[in-house]
Amino acid sequence: MTDHKASDRAATESSAASAGLCVLIVDDHSIFRSGLRAELDADITVLGEAATVDAAIARVIDLQPRVVLLDVHLPGGHGGGGAEVIREAAPRAPHTLFLALSVSDAADDVVSVIRAGARGYITKSASGAEVSEAARRVADGDAVFSPRLAGFVLDAFGAVAGETAETTEELDRLSARETEVMRLIARGYSYKEVASTLFIAAKTVETHVSSVLRKLQLSSRHELTAWALERKLL
Amino acid sequence: MDEHVSTARMIRPRLRLVGGVCAGFAEHTGVPLPTVRLVTVLLSFCGGFGALLYAWLWVTIPSGAAAVDPLPKSSLARSRAAFLPAAPIQAVPAAMAGSVATIGRSSSTVFSRADTDSARAAPVTEILLGLALLAAGGALVASRLGADIPLAVVVPAIVVLAGTALAWRQFADIRSGAAQQSSALLVRILGALVLVAVGILLFFVTGTSPSAWTVILAAASVLLGVAVVTAPWLLRLWSDLADERAARAREAERADIAAHLHDSVLQTLALIQQKAGPHSDAARLARAQERELRVWLFTGSRSAGAEPATDLAAALRRIAGEIEEDFAVHFEVVTVGAGVRVRSAASPDTNSGSTDAPESLVAAAREAMLNAARHAGGAVSVYLETSARGIELSVTDRGPGFRLDLIPKDRLGVRESILGRMHRAGGTAAVRLGPGGAGTEILLTLPTQTVPVTDDHHTETSVR
Repeated sequence: MTDHKASDRAATESSAASAGLCVLIVDDHSIFRSGLRAELDADITVLGEAATVDAAIARVIDLQPRVVLLDVHLPGGHGGGGAEVIREAAPRAPHTLFLALSVSDAADDVVSVIRAGARGYITKSASGAEVSEAARRVADGDAVFSPRLAGFVLDAFGAVAGETAETTEELDRLSARETEVMRLIARGYSYKEVASTLFIAAKTVETHVSSVLRKLQLSSRHELTAWALERKLL
Repeated sequence: MDEHVSTARMIRPRLRLVGGVCAGFAEHTGVPLPTVRLVTVLLSFCGGFGALLYAWLWVTIPSGAAAVDPLPKSSLARSRAAFLPAAPIQAVPAAMAGSVATIGRSSSTVFSRADTDSARAAPVTEILLGLALLAAGGALVASRLGADIPLAVVVPAIVVLAGTALAWRQFADIRSGAAQQSSALLVRILGALVLVAVGILLFFVTGTSPSAWTVILAAASVLLGVAVVTAPWLLRLWSDLADERAARAREAERADIAAHLHDSVLQTLALIQQKAGPHSDAARLARAQERELRVWLFTGSRSAGAEPATDLAAALRRIAGEIEEDFAVHFEVVTVGAGVRVRSAASPDTNSGSTDAPESLVAAAREAMLNAARHAGGAVSVYLETSARGIELSVTDRGPGFRLDLIPKDRLGVRESILGRMHRAGGTAAVRLGPGGAGTEILLTLPTQTVPVTDDHHTETSVR
């Protein structure tokens, strides 16, 4: 995980230099793929498309895209859907980051892909501009949280019940600041708006969100492991 | 006496001396209890008739406790009856004397369709017991009259009938799920079966001088008797299995359809919304359709939209859906924390320790959402947080924004229906500039003394 992070940062620098962002669209519906392809911003290059788990793994390894726009529910493979793609392809595509797209807001769907290593999660009803923005954000090494995901995080970590992490190292609870940031994101605030509301730098907000994502992926909190166990992720 | 039994249900009270039969009869007919008891005792001296009658009633009349369960049985019978050709269902045992023909007919129909359900099995028990007692009573009377009674035939017949009846009753209990302990039931069933076997054996052993043929015949009859007695049970097990299999098949089919709709239709609807933009009619229709489909797919209740939501989060989602149908707006409803129920205004005002959110909070939230839809449109965030401190609800839009002090005094919308309502409910409402200085944020808070949270952990799981 740590070397993954380091390589992320290295790749971030390189992608910042080259303006064009290369993405791969993975979804089992051709209508959606073509629709998304047409909707994405002009500076985003679509390297290819894939419709099944197996095809997606092969394509990710083959094309090494910067960002994979990944549907959570996919046919093929061992039935693991998007999470399986991440688990299989990520080790052999070290510079590739995954952004999950789904029509579902169900907690177990969210948890499965995030814990498999996705850097963000947005719903499919998001507009092309929103998806482009999220993809760019992920490419820059940030985490992308939809309001729903933020609300879910607050619930899963017991933040509303007043549980607060004592140290920054603690994985099973959110810090007071992280809770505040999540609360504002759940209200539909953008990162910039969160920053100005809390009087902190936008970069600090991103740090908090990334740290929450890391907790979401690594925490052994009961609520998270229960879902993960259900999806046979552990 | 018969018509009393057949018109209304006679019940043996829980408080009883022997079997509660006299008490039940007295209560049912209005005759004083001592009189009933006296008559019963007197009848008992008339060739044991009173005792037999007592025993028969004891077995056939439900006791006070057991009388609770006929409801599910009868509803089961009703649903089953639709599938079976009409057959005379004798709800209550026929008369003891004078209607032997009816008994013969109904018992034969019941026997012929051995797969009958538990409701129809009940009269069988009583008819068989009645026959057994009729035989016993007839034998007693006949012996009084000096006739030569072939006891070797009558006694086994009584034993067989009683055994069969008891077995039948046990099966009915198993079937109706009234089985308290399966091991105890099993013992009782085995006892009943042994009774049947002994009775059949008695026929042959006590009858003529034993020969090879009578022994073989006896063995065959025992087997046949046991088979006849256990047949309904096996058939019931079989039909239960078939029912369960069918239910599972239906469930699988439904899951299949759900998965297909989820993958194809929801995706298409999402695409339409994406392509059409949040303000268009097409997007609005697609969104409404998507919402309906989601409700159908994931809650399984087709009428979810019709009944008033009792959960605060569900109420907010329903309001969001209703407003989305009328305005070009999309609500993103995010709920966090434990679920809180909505206390209806119609119900008598509960004490301050109630766990529910007042309806006025819902009404104020609705007004705030409506306000955002009317003046801002586009994407509106609704955020509900319930915690030990209280309820916090915010409605954030990206519209032109407005300031409270700029609204004319005669405009009641915000001032009365949001601020006033929250104030009366013991909470506060604030209207402020939205995030980043754009739009409006309406914040409703209700402190905790009126709303402790309920125990169940309400997460996003409910929002598929």
